[in-house]
Amino acid sequence: MRILGGLSPRRRAALTLVSFLAPLAVWSAISYVPVIWHPMVRVSDAGDAAWFSTGELVEGDAFAEENVRIAAAGGHLATGARANPVFLPPPHAVLRSLVTGFTTPPARPDEPWLHQALWHSITIIFWGFVISSVVGVPLGILCGALPAMARLTEPFIEFFRYLPAPAFGALAVAVLGINDAPKIAIIFVGTFFQQVLVIANTTRRIDPGLLEAAQTLGASRRALLFRVVVPSAITDIYTDMRVLLGWAWTYLIVAELIGVSSGITFFINQQAKYRAYDKVFASIVLIGLIGLGTDVFLGRVGRRLFPWLPSAGVRRRLFFGFGRTPGALEQTSDDGGATAPAKGAASA
Amino acid sequence: MIESLALPSYREQTPAVAERFQRLKERPVILEVRNLTKRFHGSNGEVLALDRISFRAYRRELLCVIGPSGCGKSTLGRIIAGLDAPTTGEMLLDGKAIDGPGPDRGMVFQNYTLFPWLTVRRNVMFGPEVSRHLSSSLAESEAQQWIDLVGLSRFADSYPHQLSGGMKQRVAIARALANRPRILIMDEPFGALDALTRAQMQSYLLQIWKNVDVTIVFVTHDLDEAVYLADRVLVLDAHPGRVRELMEIPVPRPRSREQFLSPAFVAARHHLEEMIHPPMEVQAETLPLGRMTVVGDDVE
Repeated sequence: MRILGGLSPRRRAALTLVSFLAPLAVWSAISYVPVIWHPMVRVSDAGDAAWFSTGELVEGDAFAEENVRIAAAGGHLATGARANPVFLPPPHAVLRSLVTGFTTPPARPDEPWLHQALWHSITIIFWGFVISSVVGVPLGILCGALPAMARLTEPFIEFFRYLPAPAFGALAVAVLGINDAPKIAIIFVGTFFQQVLVIANTTRRIDPGLLEAAQTLGASRRALLFRVVVPSAITDIYTDMRVLLGWAWTYLIVAELIGVSSGITFFINQQAKYRAYDKVFASIVLIGLIGLGTDVFLGRVGRRLFPWLPSAGVRRRLFFGFGRTPGALEQTSDDGGATAPAKGAASA
Repeated sequence: MIESLALPSYREQTPAVAERFQRLKERPVILEVRNLTKRFHGSNGEVLALDRISFRAYRRELLCVIGPSGCGKSTLGRIIAGLDAPTTGEMLLDGKAIDGPGPDRGMVFQNYTLFPWLTVRRNVMFGPEVSRHLSSSLAESEAQQWIDLVGLSRFADSYPHQLSGGMKQRVAIARALANRPRILIMDEPFGALDALTRAQMQSYLLQIWKNVDVTIVFVTHDLDEAVYLADRVLVLDAHPGRVRELMEIPVPRPRSREQFLSPAFVAARHHLEEMIHPPMEVQAETLPLGRMTVVGDDVE
């Protein structure tokens, strides 16, 4: 384990795999190895137990006590296999639900399909995040670049960001109605204030030497802002946006409970009511997959957008960063021979 | 030790060199610094960084500024570039007072400060575009000339991170010159380079300077560099930073690295060394050191 060193691509891939496989292995062990946990018993033969029925899940202790009583009375013992509670489905059941979830019609005709629920959630996130960013990114950059602007806005934003977004639920419903608007508003409240502060801080971290260089090249204040500050900060801001998008997802569940419950939250709650916990888990896994997928996608887009980023020296704040193989020209030395020297003699 | 070496005085100039300085001083004054003082307000009171600095630089002169660390030579460079404000005093460029940074004074920094998101070409185009508001195509053809001048035509579409330190600094020089500044301020520009690259860059700089109408103010702490490059050397004292001497380098031009052993070069360098590192400060031979080796295991 080297401190702050690089990893070979092979090792990276292997460790990535392990990071997913290790939790899965724990889950599988709990699900499939009967001696681990399994506090319940699934009754296969109720025997003389009055209150058992076949297929029922009974607490292990209660099952044992009942059998002790039946044995004492000389009756027919109940049999069953150790099982986990209904809220911990095994991996294969969740995997099956992941596949069949999209093909199974909803239990009631007025409920959404899984894909409809997901799509609805994605649109809520999208609009909440876009509206927040349209205002928050320019404001954040301005706060970072202009100390007066920062003083004017940041103290209030600093105060406001401590107010929990869900606290505005009732207000949002009163103002915006019961449909999607208050949900988008909650995502906005949850994202915007953090966004301004994070982006302002990122902007403040740009290399002041670049600003000085631009000033000696005759850049006006406007040129400094648009041709130096913005491009200097933009790569880190892009990374910030990826982190912030993750935060936006964490507000989704709360947001979707406001007004008319909708989207993936409604779907999850319905499945929990039907005790279809495999579907609950499948939905949660789907949210994770969408988040991770979006982030990997944005990482690749970033690599395209910012071709000047070298692999080394870039902050790798995220696991799936902008990583790139070292530049091919890196080893080019400063050789007078390879490049034509300026016209004139060898000495001046 | 050194006494046995019969050095000429650094003031001795061959007729050719003397005539060159004569002509230099007949040229128009590009930069005039008058009574420049800079005070910093630090945590432990007021620090006088620069004290009544006055000097002139003539057209196409290469003036080096040298001094011990803490003499404020970099601050002087930054003040001329307009990045720091002087406490008192004034500066005239072509006879007009200057205030704040401007495209008439280019600057090359030690840490390159190239814009990493722009290719070499676009870095060089930056000045003409923002200060002279040239169209993109005009700026591009302008930039191309400067890229050619510093010998980086093959790398015009590379990004800075793909270049070596010496190449980056050539781009920085091209970028500053593309604005056609009256003076070019260079703040220890080759300090971060290895010895070989540094020597190459010094030669490149002399070649570039020969082909461009620009006055150079070159801040350095490297004595050889100063003697090799400069027409005159402005020697500063430290604490407070004062002008100690404005010294004429008696080494004839064109300069070459063979001159490093010429009497004129050695005399000039020796004089600079005596001013900047007085001999009494360099006695490090009898430090009260402890002994970490076995007795009898001596290397001398």
